[in-house]
Amino acid sequence: MMKSTYQQSVLRSNLSVVWNELVKNIKSLLAYPAILVFWAIFPIFWFIPFILQGQAFVGGFESASFAQITGSGEYVPFIVIGAVLNSYVNTLLYGMGENIRKESYQGTLDYVLAAPCNKAYVLIGKALSESVSSTIFAASQLTISVILFGMKITLGVMLPVFFIVILLMLGLYGMSLILAAFSLMYKQSYDLSQTIGYVFYIFAPVRYPVESLPTWAQIFGKLIPLTYALIIVRSFMLLGTDFSAVYLEVLALLIIDIALLLAGFYLFSWMEEKTKKSGTISHH
Amino acid sequence: MVIDKEGEVFSIQTIDLTKRFAKKRHRGFFGFLRKNQSKNKHKEKNDVTVALDKVNLEIRPGELFGLLGPNGSGKTTTIKCLSTILIPDEGTAIVNGFDTQKETAMVRASLGMVVGGERTLYWKLTARDNLTYFASLYKMQRRHAKKRIEELLETMQLSDRADERLEDYSTGMRQKVAIARALLHDPPILLLDEPTLGLDPNFSRQIRRQIRELSEKHGKTVLLTTHYMDEADQLCDRVAFINNGKIVAVDTPNRLKAMVKEKGLVEVTVYRPPAGIEKHIRSLLPDAEAVKLIPGDEDEGNPSRIKIIGGTAEEHMETIIDALRQKNVRIGSLNVGVPTLEDVFIKLTGAKLTEGRT
Repeated sequence: MMKSTYQQSVLRSNLSVVWNELVKNIKSLLAYPAILVFWAIFPIFWFIPFILQGQAFVGGFESASFAQITGSGEYVPFIVIGAVLNSYVNTLLYGMGENIRKESYQGTLDYVLAAPCNKAYVLIGKALSESVSSTIFAASQLTISVILFGMKITLGVMLPVFFIVILLMLGLYGMSLILAAFSLMYKQSYDLSQTIGYVFYIFAPVRYPVESLPTWAQIFGKLIPLTYALIIVRSFMLLGTDFSAVYLEVLALLIIDIALLLAGFYLFSWMEEKTKKSGTISHH
Repeated sequence: MVIDKEGEVFSIQTIDLTKRFAKKRHRGFFGFLRKNQSKNKHKEKNDVTVALDKVNLEIRPGELFGLLGPNGSGKTTTIKCLSTILIPDEGTAIVNGFDTQKETAMVRASLGMVVGGERTLYWKLTARDNLTYFASLYKMQRRHAKKRIEELLETMQLSDRADERLEDYSTGMRQKVAIARALLHDPPILLLDEPTLGLDPNFSRQIRRQIRELSEKHGKTVLLTTHYMDEADQLCDRVAFINNGKIVAVDTPNRLKAMVKEKGLVEVTVYRPPAGIEKHIRSLLPDAEAVKLIPGDEDEGNPSRIKIIGGTAEEHMETIIDALRQKNVRIGSLNVGVPTLEDVFIKLTGAKLTEGRT
């Protein structure tokens, strides 16, 4: 039997797939220089209107009634944290499905699927590249809020915050895999991503404390990974607590992550098989 | 590789390979309400296109094998089933000894493919970036991949422009990158789907020469699909004709052409032939097996051609010339008895290679 130079050193080759997918996506993104302007300017429009609205309502940057609900009267950092974490939702949810759709449209998807590597690592690479752009966007938002609104960030708290952001991203990867699976089958996932994005925006405490929602909505909100991430990060950054105060929320976030990731990988493989049978895998 | 009962070895073998596609029905805005109205069995049967109908192919190691047919005949579907992009409904395909449905990873590692041409690359990346990315998908070690990429860029004469984005390349150059990608992991088998489609004559010649070398010098098994008959005639050791998803003939180009040569063949190049000219000639030569008009593009210097195959066509050339003059058709040239693979296809199927599904 003739041999090809097919190599099977599992871990290294899988990491190489993830890395090269990440590099490919970032290089493709940077081929459009306007994206840098978007990253630098767009975050301002994301949350400044809400801060100005709050200021008009309470006549300053602090509110006593807000302090009664959340434990901290400063609403600017509250809004900034909501906007920063929600930007991960926006980029990750839309990113993966659109990436798959783009690959299908430009004709490269067949080649990716016909390669012998495990496709899960290609998807991880895609998710990581979306995370890089989300993190640049988030860092940009934080920098703007420090410069314009004097928001104070303690460096010591950033490590546990980053850990929670990673947990949030894992859950969002799971959701984006589900959306990518839909994109494979139905050739578009934008509308579904947008709907889920809005559901997150309303039922997770992005702009207001979770206590502002009616009880039934609070229960529904507890199925959303963003809810837990926001509660934990605000607890760290605004109330100065540590993991012992929020370990139940961390556990809940972890369980939701595992469930979403398993569902995402399963659904993607199932849809891939289904489209290969129906012959629609190359359609766009 | 597959060894059959007679001890013959095959790189690619398909046994009764069948693929059907459901036809997309557009039911309008409120179509979902009408979804379950038609349970008629006859109608359901009509809603399916049989893209491959019990296709049997046996391709030997090192062979350059052509799969010829018009658009929609099943060439690309065959390649997609072999490359595991599509799952067949029935039958088996074995590639390099591996079953395409059970040992997909090994099949994928045994194959290099060029399907869909230049569009299937990342145009915003350089040639080197594209090849590096695909090398990782084929689990190639970094150092080995780097060396291999340099070799291939050199072979394809792209070294000096390897770090330019593909959006700045010509169609022919991008096609070379696509071929380099297929060769990255040095697979024993290559699936090439219309590799010269849309290329200028110079690039086409270069690509053909490279395909021939891959088979002769490097011992690759090549399955080439094309609807350029000259290309298949020049390159292929054997060819199979496929029409409406069925294999209609398999043999060497010379043996296939001999089928027509025995019968007689006349080809007339004509300018602005009127509608119905085929019928008119046929009425004068009732013993001809096929009379086909192959439309040309006169503005591009390619006049139309009329092919008369079989019967006593060669003995009645005067009749043919008179028939054309009666209809005021200008004759460019008239050739007798030099068959092409296209003539064989017309004889076997009654269709032209430029036609879609018959």
